[in-house]
Amino acid sequence: MSSSIGANCTELKARYDSCFNKWYSEKFLKGSTETECEDLLKEYKACVMTIIKEKQIDKLLAEARKESPFPSSSSTSS
Amino acid sequence: MKLFQFVHQYNYPWSQVSAANWQKYPNEKCPHVLHVDVLNRAVDPVTGVLTTERLIAVQQNAPAIIMKLIGGSSTQFVREISVIDPRQKKLTMKSINLTMSHLISCEETVTYQEDPTDASRTVFTQSAAITAGSTLSRMANYIEDVSVKRFQQNAAVGRQGFQMVLERFAVMAEGSTSASSDTA
Repeated sequence: MSSSIGANCTELKARYDSCFNKWYSEKFLKGSTETECEDLLKEYKACVMTIIKEKQIDKLLAEARKESPFPSSSSTSS
Repeated sequence: MKLFQFVHQYNYPWSQVSAANWQKYPNEKCPHVLHVDVLNRAVDPVTGVLTTERLIAVQQNAPAIIMKLIGGSSTQFVREISVIDPRQKKLTMKSINLTMSHLISCEETVTYQEDPTDASRTVFTQSAAITAGSTLSRMANYIEDVSVKRFQQNAAVGRQGFQMVLERFAVMAEGSTSASSDTA
């Protein structure tokens, strides 16, 4: 598994990734649209967002999202 | 602007390729990929399409003279949006550099799709548009050429790396299938 941008987020990422990869192969590819790793993603994402702000990548991301937004307005987020 | 295009085939079914794609890094062929993080992920309940936004940190390997000229940092950030349609068996990834984008932009599109003539194979396409910004206008042509060359080299090692990941993944998948059929 690749590491996170935040050294302290890598463990949270590992937990989330392993949940996601299992879900992807066993559920998603077999037709399920119900996500299962939301709580782990939420925790991991919160950690990453702190680092992104620290490194001031959040502004660059916001710019990029203006041009091509993440298409999640109606679907189940994150 | 300069364009790069490439088509390749992997001798693995799409489901395996698309799953292995999430575990592509780290691989020993691509040490320049430092970190990969998921920023957003959503499944459309109607279409079944999975969309993911990731942030990728890469070690810049541009020639030293260019780095010196533009004063860029050695770690660069890339935003990637991937769209996976499990019904069409197609994965599309678009990525663009977030840092140094005023100087040079590299917009890459990669697709992995089930081979319509053979479901045990996956067709891979890769294209990139590289544009040097006006700050570099006098040297834009040279810089674009150098960048396309770099991109080609990186793309080739990227494919070698992914091929290795796929081989490992196939062995793992086989292992888990035989393990589950043993217990069944």
